[in-house]
Amino acid sequence: MASTPAASTPAASAPILAATGLRLAWGDRVVVDDLTIAVPDGGFTVIVGPNACGKSTLLRALARTISPVAGEVTLDGRPIRSYRGKEVARRLAMLPQSPIAPDSITVRSLVGRGRYPHQGLFNQWSRADEAAVAGALDATSVDLLADRPVAELSGGQRQRAWIAMVLAQQTELLLLDEPTTFLDIAHQYDVLDLCARLHREGRTLVVVLHDLNQAARYATHLVVMLDGTIVAEGAPAEVLTAALVESVFGLPCRVLPDPETGTPMVVPLGASSRAPGRAGSV
Amino acid sequence: MSIIRWGERISVRVSKRSLVIGAVAALVLLVISVLTLTAGDLGIALPNLLPAVVSSPGGKEGFVLERLRGPRLVVAVLTGAAFGISGALFQTVTRNPLGSPDIIGIGVGAGAGAAAFGLVWPGILPLPVGALIGALVAIVLVWFGTGRGFSSPSRVIIVGIGVSAMGLSFIQYVIARAGREEATVLAAYLNGSLASRDWADAAIIVGALLVLVPAALLLGRRLALIEMGDEAADALGANARGTRTWSILVAVGLSTAAVSVAGPIAFVALASPQVAKRLARSPGANIALSAVMGAVMLTLADLAVQQAPFGVQLPVGILTAVIGGLYLGYLLVREWKKGTL
Repeated sequence: MASTPAASTPAASAPILAATGLRLAWGDRVVVDDLTIAVPDGGFTVIVGPNACGKSTLLRALARTISPVAGEVTLDGRPIRSYRGKEVARRLAMLPQSPIAPDSITVRSLVGRGRYPHQGLFNQWSRADEAAVAGALDATSVDLLADRPVAELSGGQRQRAWIAMVLAQQTELLLLDEPTTFLDIAHQYDVLDLCARLHREGRTLVVVLHDLNQAARYATHLVVMLDGTIVAEGAPAEVLTAALVESVFGLPCRVLPDPETGTPMVVPLGASSRAPGRAGSV
Repeated sequence: MSIIRWGERISVRVSKRSLVIGAVAALVLLVISVLTLTAGDLGIALPNLLPAVVSSPGGKEGFVLERLRGPRLVVAVLTGAAFGISGALFQTVTRNPLGSPDIIGIGVGAGAGAAAFGLVWPGILPLPVGALIGALVAIVLVWFGTGRGFSSPSRVIIVGIGVSAMGLSFIQYVIARAGREEATVLAAYLNGSLASRDWADAAIIVGALLVLVPAALLLGRRLALIEMGDEAADALGANARGTRTWSILVAVGLSTAAVSVAGPIAFVALASPQVAKRLARSPGANIALSAVMGAVMLTLADLAVQQAPFGVQLPVGILTAVIGGLYLGYLLVREWKKGTL
């Protein structure tokens, strides 16, 4: 599924999703400036950074839900703006941070909305739609909840239902904006395990996360942002150092191997050994 | 949800529940229509009704059917439907059950237009045309007042309230200047009335519906996605801003046509989408069902004011305002209990 059918003609190494010279702004406030990124095909990219570093804004630009002031996002080497909206949505799915579940909508019907880019005025519900929804419900283990109203679900179940909605889009690229926020810790790992499985099954993931240890554990490619630029990127084991965490987050720490997975694990220093004035700055 | 398929390329999705409710509501509408034509002293006797409709007779029955109650009924059905659809679009786009085209000043604008061309510069234009101009002026003021067209619902509502206040003060000014009798005539219009409508009025609303109903239905699927938030809708390729702007334009067109024909009849646009939503128990705009509900509400209210023993004939807008006020109270209490207010 992740293999590009006809993309071997241009440079075979060119990434499916990339951005160059990106400048993003909310009104007059520039949030991201001159940012270039190539999303590794088939990778599990995690974007981390302090609050307001522009990571969610970058994700939105990659998903084309905001347009850059300057620079370009490309999909298969072509400017993403040159595609039709539904065309993009058949290649790339994006789950925003806080989507709204309409009143009295059931899980099945919510997931069905992910099929919009595949539907037309005269083909509102094909057998392929049916199969995609069933597959998405199954993959996220919400199939038993399918006919329950979304409003009645627990936080973790609800998040899985939303992920099922974007899975039903059947895209090779999956962008998730802080999918673990507002979940208790078990459900956070639940969602991350689901992401890891989707990645193993061949999808390319780009996920914004807050927790550095989770990011290091799940990412194959870690992107660290500060003040609207990428300050480091690469394999978590190479990128995540104590010096980097201190300079980006202002948190003096040690980085140890995670006893469970061997991935880098950030352990903040005790308050007594931290520099005064820095402790509460994040 | 059930699916109707023709081969692999064509499939339509309909909710069974909505279909059944729609059919029942249509039946209710038919009964109300028959009652409207047959009730009271001037009513056509029931056995004569079908022949009269088919053969267009002369005499008293012909007069009642073709001049008196026929056009009034048709206008009531169609303006009710237009109000219903415009309310459904507006509430979906603003994600607010209290959203309605009334609040963006269309009703008050129409009233101000009627006041201007009825009393300030009388005789230049017929009252409905004056109302239409007033409504359009109000919309243009709202469009430019928000600074970004109709893309932000909260701005539309806030500027709409301001424009409504301006329109209202203009109406007060005109009424204060006017003589007693002129003011009475205007007051009937300002409440919204279906009395003595003719086929020309019906033609205005038919024209508007022919153009705008297909547009509303085309927007329906994208509107359902807007309910999930602009970002989610955009990510699915539904273009939230464009959908919102077009939906408001269609809603404005429908309610302007309705208001210019029937005056600013209150609360049909507010209540019918809510009733439709509650009965259908389904998310989305429920456009068709809201239209039928709007028609049922307005014809029922109009039947009541035609047949009620008030001595004088009340404008139907007063009745809908009373019912609507009670309903609004209920809605506020409910939202308050739910903690969403």
